[in-house]
Amino acid sequence: MAYLITKENIKEVLNALIAAKTVYAPKKDAEDTVLFEKLVNASEWHGDSLLTHTTAKDKVYLQSERFFKIKKDKNGVTIEDPAEPEEIVIFGCRPCDARGFDVINKLFNWSDFVDEYYTKRMAKTTIITISCEKPESTCFCTSFAKGSPVNETGSDLLLTPLKDGKYLAEAYTEKGEKVISDNLKYFSEAAETEAKEKEAFKTASEAKIIKKLDLAAIKKLMEPAFESAYWETVHLPCVKCGACTFVCPTCYCFDITEKAFDNMNSERVRSWDTCMSEIFTRMAGGVNPRSDTKKRFRQRFMHKFNYHVDNFKEELCTGCGRCIKACPVSIDVRKVIEGIK
Amino acid sequence: MTGNIYKPHIAKIIDIKIETGDIKSFKFQFVDQAAQKEFTWKAGQFLILNLFGIGEAVFTFANPQTRNEYIECSIRKVGLVSEAVHELEIGDTVGIRGPYGNWFPFEKWHGKNLLYVAGGVGLAALRSPIEFALDTKQDFKNITILYGARSPMDLCYKDKFSDWEKVKDTQMILTADKGADGWKHKVGFVPAVLKEVHPSPKDTVAIICGPPIMIKFVLKELLDLGFTPDQIVTTLEMKMKCGFGKCGRCNVKHLYICKDGPVFTYAQLKDLPDEY
Repeated sequence: MAYLITKENIKEVLNALIAAKTVYAPKKDAEDTVLFEKLVNASEWHGDSLLTHTTAKDKVYLQSERFFKIKKDKNGVTIEDPAEPEEIVIFGCRPCDARGFDVINKLFNWSDFVDEYYTKRMAKTTIITISCEKPESTCFCTSFAKGSPVNETGSDLLLTPLKDGKYLAEAYTEKGEKVISDNLKYFSEAAETEAKEKEAFKTASEAKIIKKLDLAAIKKLMEPAFESAYWETVHLPCVKCGACTFVCPTCYCFDITEKAFDNMNSERVRSWDTCMSEIFTRMAGGVNPRSDTKKRFRQRFMHKFNYHVDNFKEELCTGCGRCIKACPVSIDVRKVIEGIK
Repeated sequence: MTGNIYKPHIAKIIDIKIETGDIKSFKFQFVDQAAQKEFTWKAGQFLILNLFGIGEAVFTFANPQTRNEYIECSIRKVGLVSEAVHELEIGDTVGIRGPYGNWFPFEKWHGKNLLYVAGGVGLAALRSPIEFALDTKQDFKNITILYGARSPMDLCYKDKFSDWEKVKDTQMILTADKGADGWKHKVGFVPAVLKEVHPSPKDTVAIICGPPIMIKFVLKELLDLGFTPDQIVTTLEMKMKCGFGKCGRCNVKHLYICKDGPVFTYAQLKDLPDEY
C-alpha cells in the first residue's frame, strides 16, 4: 500500500529513527561537501543536492574492515571473531546508489561462498531512497534495464516528491514496511491519483536525462574488441588515480592484508582496492598480466560492461555518473564505451 | 559454504624438507584433529596459507587427497609471505583456508594414458595429480612423467622419483638443460625431449605445467604430435586474495582463475586473450 507524508513529517520519522538506530544521511561538511554522515538530528539532513560526493557503499561494505584479531601466545594462536554488526539506516539514498547495493549483493552471495561480513551488515541495513527530481548532465541511469529516477531496486522504502511538498511513500520490503508501521501517525493513505502523479514525475524526470546508451549493442561491440587499437589511445589521458573506482557504487574489488601491532598481536583487514593500480595484479616475483595502463583501463570498462554481464546478467554500473565528475582529466565513461570500435 | 569464509584453520608445521636452493616443502597438520580428518581436496585445487602477523599467500596442494593425514606445500622463496615461511621451524603455527578452485577431471580420464610434462618448479603443481593417479593407478593405463629443469640441481622431488617409477606401467623421463658430472639422464630442453620421446596421442591426456616459454613450445610439440586442444590440460596462476571470485583480480575475461580455474584445457585457453 502506498502512503503520503509531508517533508516536515519525514523529519519527524528521521528523528524517531535516529533515536533508535545509527542513521546515515546526506550532510554538508565545513567545506560544503555533501557526504553520508551519521546524523544526531533530522535538521542536519541536507536533501537539496542530487548526489552525495561519495556513495553510501562504505556504510555496508566498509572501506577498511577488520576481519578478525589474531593473538599469539605460548599455546599457539587465537582468532577472535568480529562483533555482530549494528542496525543502521541509510536515509536519502538515490535510486542509482540503492541499486548499487543490489548489484554488489549478488557478488557477495556469489557461488558457494557467502561473504558474511557484507551479508550480515546488509541484513541489518534499512535503505530509504528519495526519487530524483532534477537529474544532472552526468546522470545516465535510464540506460540500464532497471534504471530510472524512481526505481525501487535495492530500496526498502522509496519516497517520491509530489506536488504541494508531499511525498509518496512506497515500501518494498518488510524493513520498509516496518518504518511506516512504527511511525504510522506521520503517514496518510495515498489515493489512485497520487500513483498517477508519480508516473508524471517519472516522465518529467527521465526527460531531463540527456544520454541513453544502448548497452546491449555496446556489449556486442566490446566482445571482439579486446585486441582493438582503440585501447592504445583512449587510455592516454588517464592518470591512474583510481578516483573513479573510489566513488563508484558498484566497484567492489578488495585487498586482504595483515596489520601487525607487535610480535604477538595483529589483525586481518579487508580494504577497498582499485584495478587501476599497478600492484593490483602484480605477482610475487614481478610477473604482472596487466602491467600497463592500457590493460588496466581496458579491464575496468570490459569488467563493468562485458565480463560482469556474462556472469551476472547486468552491468557493474548504475549510471550515477560520479566517476565522470571525479575524474581529474574528464574521462567520461559514456564516451569511452560508446566509442569502442 | 556457511560460516566465516575468511577464517583459517590453525595448523602446525610437522615437517620441513629442503628441495632445491630456493624451494622447501612444508607439511602442516591442523591443531583440531577432527577438522584435519574431515578436510579433503581434489588434486589441482589450492589453499591460502596464513602467516599470522605477515599475511596470506596462495599455494597449491603438493600431496594428493589420497594422502590427507597432513597437507603439504612446496614453497619457492619469492615474496613477502614465502620468505617468511622459509624462516619457520617445525612446531610453528600457521593458518590454512581452502580448498579453492577446480581440479584435474580424473573421473573423465579413466582408462586413458596420462602424460605429465613439467618444467622446473612446475612439478610442484603436478605432484598432487601425479601421486593421485599413481595411488589410483587401476583406473588408468600408462603413466609417463617427463620432467626437466635448468640443471640436475634444480630438480624438485628427486627422492620421490624411484617410488613413482616402481608403480606398474609408469615411466619417468628426466632431462636437464645442462648436464653435470654423473648425470645419467637426458640433456636438452623439455620440448626437444618430448619430440624425441614421441608419445602417441591415442587415448592420452597431456597434463603440463612449467614456465611460460616451456608451455609455449610444449604446446606446439603436442599439437604436432596430433594431440587435440581438449587433450591438453594445464593449471594457471595469477595474483589472488580471496580464493573464491570476489576480490576481483584474477580474471581473464569473465573467468576467475581462482573459481573457474586454475585447471583449464588448451581448448579453453586458446580462445582467451593473453592476459594471464
